[in-house]
Amino acid sequence: MSWEATLLTFALIDNVILSRLLGVDPYGMPGSLRSAAAAGGLFTILMAASAVAGSVLETQVLAPFGLEALRTPAFVLLVAAFAAALHGLAARRAPAMLEEAGVSLGRTATSTAVLGVVLIASRGGLDAGRALLAGLGAGAGFFLVTSMMTAIRLRLEVEPVPRALRGFPLQLVTAALMAYAFLAFDRGFLARFLGR
Amino acid sequence: MSTGLLLLSLCPAIAMTDTVIHSLWMSAGVILVSLLSTIARDVLDRSSASTATSPKGAVRLLRALLISSVLTAAFEAGLLAVSPTASASMGIYSPLIAVNVLVIADRQPAARSLARSASGALGRGLAVSASLLVVAIFREALGAGTITLFPAGAFRGTIIVGPLVDQPVRALGLAGGALLCLGYLAGALQAIATRRASAASEGEKPR
Repeated sequence: MSWEATLLTFALIDNVILSRLLGVDPYGMPGSLRSAAAAGGLFTILMAASAVAGSVLETQVLAPFGLEALRTPAFVLLVAAFAAALHGLAARRAPAMLEEAGVSLGRTATSTAVLGVVLIASRGGLDAGRALLAGLGAGAGFFLVTSMMTAIRLRLEVEPVPRALRGFPLQLVTAALMAYAFLAFDRGFLARFLGR
Repeated sequence: MSTGLLLLSLCPAIAMTDTVIHSLWMSAGVILVSLLSTIARDVLDRSSASTATSPKGAVRLLRALLISSVLTAAFEAGLLAVSPTASASMGIYSPLIAVNVLVIADRQPAARSLARSASGALGRGLAVSASLLVVAIFREALGAGTITLFPAGAFRGTIIVGPLVDQPVRALGLAGGALLCLGYLAGALQAIATRRASAASEGEKPR
């Protein structure tokens, strides 16, 4: 698979939220588009870095030494370590972005979306370069869908909707309709888009 | 268990509601890891509190992650030994139990005793399992016209749901179907919670 195809697959066809159903959080809905963009940026960096490290760990340590049984603790701790490092770096270099994103260390360290991307990359046997592209693509897909869901939610807040569906239930129904819309992005679309 | 917390625990597991049997395996994992990790964390918390060196913040999170991920790895190994097919079909979702149970446990207030912590964890696990089962029965029965269970004796493990097997609502079997079912389940839970709250406030009003 070419690098463009890997990026597009993880961003649109195999989207981490709409296809893999990871990263949907009733307590983590961004309050504004700026907040969604900041959180999306942080998660993209974290997904890319963790996917590369996960791939290296799998191919250089876990598989050669027969330690596959330790894959889950190793990857969970790896994501937590990268989340802590990213939080520390962002707190020093870009505190405004971290504040805007509104994501705690606990939330990033225990993100199912990030851990899911690491697991997909390692189980798919992707090398470090492909894992980087997969992480960037998944992050871009996460960023895109979170921003779109936030924009739709902000519009729906001023619309008359049934009381029972207000808030997170409507967010899930919105995500469901987006998931059906994203079915248009399939292998056929990829082949036509890339002209192959 | 609050509606928000139940939904938070359902979100990462909802992908495993495509068939009833997958939801049962996922439920088993959530109950086991949730119960055992809560007991282990509680025992460690109580012992470290008595020595006045109680770990804080990141160290506490790291310790909790280590406990839940080791227990999840043990569950995965057990599942692989018992049913390699189920282990393969759970794919990336069984390792996610490690962070899922931690997110739920972190939002619960500390219990006074170990027994209360354990019963709380068991209750949360059962609530998640019941919700997963409801969504799975709905999705599989309508989306495929079947209900897949464990084969036993002459029973092959699949119940055919009338004419739906020939004309299923395939959209419910897709990822969007899981989000749609979860959305309406969340709406139903929210409506019940709102009705209960208004009934309670009506009862408190002086006549």
